[in-house]
Amino acid sequence: MNVIGLGIASMGVAIGLGLIGFAGLQGMSRQPEAIGKLQTAMLIALAFVELVFLLTVFVGAPGLK
Amino acid sequence: MGGLLSTQTNVLASAEAVSSLGTAIYVGLVLILLFAVLAMAKKGLNGRVFKNPWTQATEQLYLFIENMCVGIIGSHGRKYIPMIATFWLVIFVANVVALFMGFSPTASLSFNLGMALISIGYVQFEGMKANGMFGHFSHFAGPKLGGLMALLITPVIFVIEIVSEIIKNASLSLRLYGNIFGGGKAVHSMNELGHSIYVPFGEFLMPIKLLTVVVQALIFCLLTCVYLSLVTGHHDEEHGEDHGHGAPAHA
Repeated sequence: MNVIGLGIASMGVAIGLGLIGFAGLQGMSRQPEAIGKLQTAMLIALAFVELVFLLTVFVGAPGLK
Repeated sequence: MGGLLSTQTNVLASAEAVSSLGTAIYVGLVLILLFAVLAMAKKGLNGRVFKNPWTQATEQLYLFIENMCVGIIGSHGRKYIPMIATFWLVIFVANVVALFMGFSPTASLSFNLGMALISIGYVQFEGMKANGMFGHFSHFAGPKLGGLMALLITPVIFVIEIVSEIIKNASLSLRLYGNIFGGGKAVHSMNELGHSIYVPFGEFLMPIKLLTVVVQALIFCLLTCVYLSLVTGHHDEEHGEDHGHGAPAHA
């Protein structure tokens, strides 16, 4: 059961990462001269979304096994 | 914090435990690599034009980090370059070690927590240097409110900001640890998949691990820059905000 929860968490985070990448790429293609700023902001957002999954793993994974 | 550290033993239950002496040996390995590369780069520093390839590569690295600091913090960000560059070099070299070895300093939560404590402590120190002790702590209390609101809301905001400063340590260290250690675990599991037919499937993860190596080092430095810009950027005038680029382009 816990494994399913972990899978749901990873699914949500994957959707979030995909949305960030989608919006970032769209912005970059609209304004190629702003690529540097967009990449920085995109990486920061990616880091924060990724952290959610890592926190889920560290809080939830000890219950596994 | 005790709960945080105690989860490590549970998550690590299936992995081989590395003693603190082993971690120290890997830290030494990283330092040897780092100092070797930097010593080779230092040899070419004298001429007007750098001809030594190591020096050229290090110059590009410096330019990259300077670009990051000045772009995020502003024109006064140049004085934070030594700290950011140190973080970048240590994390990047340790991550490269993690590509080739079973363990690396950045795959250990203790080492990462130490680096995060140094990073956040440095941010607090620079904030106190830039705004003064009182100014730095009043920065935690949020916007200036009047009357009853100040009594009710400001203490709550203050406590929340203090807690979030403490959580920043955990978030910086857990992100690096989770990515590097998780990458190693993924390679290990995929190797076990192909164990019976002698195909190391895990090595096919190398490209994405290479990406992780760069991105995680970048994110640690980037977030330190962002935290520095949050605590030091108030008294500075607005600069570098070219309004022509901010407006949407109507083609």
